[in-house]
Amino acid sequence: MSVDLGIIKIDQELCTGCRRCAEICPVNAIEGNQGEPQTINVERCVVCGQCVQKCSAYAAAFEEGITSRDVKLVERGMLTSVKEPLFAAYNVGHAKVVKDGLANPTLFKVVQSAPAVRVAIAEEFGLPLGSLTPGKMAAALHSLGFDKVYDTNFTADLTIMEEGSELIERVTKGGTLPMFTSCCPAWVKFVEQAYPELIPHLSSCKSPQQMAGVVFKTYGAKINNIEPARVFSVSIMPCTCKKFECDRPEMNDSGFKDVDVVLTTRELANLIKDAGIDFNSLPEREFDAPLGTYSGAGTIFGATGGVMEAALRTAYELITKQPIPDVDVKIARGGEGVRRTTVQVGDLELKVVIVSGLKHVVPVLEEIKAGKADFHFMEVMTCPVGCVSGGGQPKVLLETEKETAHQNRTAATYEHDAKLALRKSHENPDIKKIYDEFLGEPLGHESHHLLHTKYTARKG
Amino acid sequence: MSTKLNCFVVADPSKCIGCKACEVACAVVHCDSEVTTVGTMEIPIIPRLYLVQTAEVTMPIQCRHCEDAPCANVCPVGAITQEDNAIIVKEESCVGCKTCLMACPFGAIDLVPRYKEGELMAQIGLKAQTDDELSEKAQLIANKCDLCSDRGKGPACVEVCPQKALNVINPAKEKKNRNQEAALSLLDAVKKFIS
Repeated sequence: MSVDLGIIKIDQELCTGCRRCAEICPVNAIEGNQGEPQTINVERCVVCGQCVQKCSAYAAAFEEGITSRDVKLVERGMLTSVKEPLFAAYNVGHAKVVKDGLANPTLFKVVQSAPAVRVAIAEEFGLPLGSLTPGKMAAALHSLGFDKVYDTNFTADLTIMEEGSELIERVTKGGTLPMFTSCCPAWVKFVEQAYPELIPHLSSCKSPQQMAGVVFKTYGAKINNIEPARVFSVSIMPCTCKKFECDRPEMNDSGFKDVDVVLTTRELANLIKDAGIDFNSLPEREFDAPLGTYSGAGTIFGATGGVMEAALRTAYELITKQPIPDVDVKIARGGEGVRRTTVQVGDLELKVVIVSGLKHVVPVLEEIKAGKADFHFMEVMTCPVGCVSGGGQPKVLLETEKETAHQNRTAATYEHDAKLALRKSHENPDIKKIYDEFLGEPLGHESHHLLHTKYTARKG
Repeated sequence: MSTKLNCFVVADPSKCIGCKACEVACAVVHCDSEVTTVGTMEIPIIPRLYLVQTAEVTMPIQCRHCEDAPCANVCPVGAITQEDNAIIVKEESCVGCKTCLMACPFGAIDLVPRYKEGELMAQIGLKAQTDDELSEKAQLIANKCDLCSDRGKGPACVEVCPQKALNVINPAKEKKNRNQEAALSLLDAVKKFIS
C-alpha cells in the first residue's frame, strides 16, 4: 500500500464526477472523466481547499452500499461527535490530535489563531455570516484548556517589521524585485513547482503562522519558564494549506517542529462543540500578552490587500520618518483579481500589485519572466478574496450566499482594524519588546535564523 | 374553483452535471432551524428532489404537482391536498402508509425521518420491540417538493443550480411560448416559398 501524502482528498464513493471542483482548481490538479469519481494529483495540488468549499456531493444518511458514516469520520480524522454532513471533497482532520494534546498534563499548550478565523468561526454556531467575535474565540480557546492563547496577528505585525525592512533593503540596495509576499503557503508551493526560477523574488520571511511557531518554542518558552520540548504549539487557520506548511521539513528552527498541528476554523468549531462549550454565551476574553497583542495592521492580513496595506503603514514611516497621512490605505482594498497601484512614499514612487485568486497571477508572472515588470512589491493570495475565503473556513451551503459571506467577513476584518487603538505594526509595544529582549533588530542575526526561510524547487 | 394550472420544476438533462447542489439547497431551506454553513447543519441532508445518475441520463426528479394528484387520491387520511397551486403533504396527519410513494409515477415521494429542532422525532405511541425491551421508533413521513411555497425567492433548487438546468415551468406560459415559436418557424418556412 502506498503512503498517501495528500491533505485534500476526494471520497470515491461520494464523488459524482460533476467536476465543479476541477473547474475552480487554480492549478488543474483534479483529474477524471465527467460523471466519474475524480482524483487529486497530490504533487500538483497546492492544498488551497477551494474544491472542499465547492463540493456539493454529500453522503446521504441512509445510503446502502457505501462505507458507514462512523468509518468515514475516522478516515477523515473527524471527531465522532460531529453531526455535519460529509461531502466528497474533504481535508484530513487533526482535531483528535489537539484533543489528546489538551488532555495531556505534561504539555504546555499554546495556540495561535489567524486573523480570518475571528470573522467567521461564529457562523458555525448560528451567528450571522461574517460576525466579528475575537473575544468569544479567545474565551473558547481558554475554555478548551490552552495555557496561553496567543495570536497569529502578533506575528503578522512581526512579519511586517521583517518584510517591510526586507522590501526597503531590496529597493535601496538593488535586491531582486519585484518582491513577492510569502505568507500564503499555497502560493509559495505554486512558485516552487511552477515558476522555480522566480523563487528569489519571494520574501525570505516565514509566514506569520510559522514565525509564531518558532517564537513560541524559543522566546515564548523562555518568558513562561517552560522547557521548549514541553510546548504543544497549535494553530487555528482558515486554510487547509497551513497543514502542509507546518509539515515542511525545514520549519524547525526552534529545534523542534515549530507548529505541531494545524486545525481549520471548522475543526476548531467542532472541537468546541465536542467539549460542550456554548460558544454564544461565552463572556469575552482577551488574548494573552505579549504574544497575543496585535495591531489592526496585523488583523487585516485576512483580507486581500491587507498585507500590502499593513506593510505600507509601516514602510511609509520607516522610509519618510513621518506617519502615513491616511492610515486607511483604501486603494489596497478590493476583490478577486489583479489590482495595480502606486503609492507615493516620500521621494519613492512605490509600485505595487495585489493578486487574489491564484490563477490570476499567471499573466503577471509571465510579465516578470519577460522582463516587463515595472513594480516593486506583489501580494498574492490564493483564495478568491484572501484568507477570509480560505479552504478551511465555514463552508456556506447555499452557493447564492457565498459572496455575502466573503463580503461580510471582509467588512468585519476592516471594522475590527478601524476600532482598534493600535493600528500599525511598528507601534505594537510587544513587538518593540520582542526586538529589545530577544531578536535585536529586523533582519538581524536572530531574526535571520528564526524568522526567515529558504524555498526549494519541487515537482508539480 | 380555480382552473389555473399548477407550476412545477423540471430539470434539463442536457445541462445537469449531477453536482447535487439542488438537493443540498432543498434540504437546507426546509430545515426548521436557520442553517447557513455545513457546521450548522446538525441533521442529515434530506432533499425533496432526487438526482438520477446513470450511463444514459443525469438529472434530478421531483414532484409534478399533478392536477389530479394520485398521491392525494390514495392517501387514506387525507394528508395531501392542493394549497395555492401546489400539492402539499400535511406532516402531522401522515401515518407513513407509503401508498403515496407507490402511487406516484415519478417516485417523487420519499418516506423520511422527521427532525424537529435538531432531534429525530420518535413515534408517540408505536414502539419498537427489540430482544429485551421496548424502544423508541423514529417518525417517518411522506416528503416531497412543495415548490418552496413559503420562500420569497421561490424554489431554492432553481436558484442555486450552477448550470441553470432547473426551471420553474408555468404550463400556460410555456404552451404560449411554444405556439409563438412554432408560428415564427412556420413563417420562416413559408417565406422561402413566397416569391
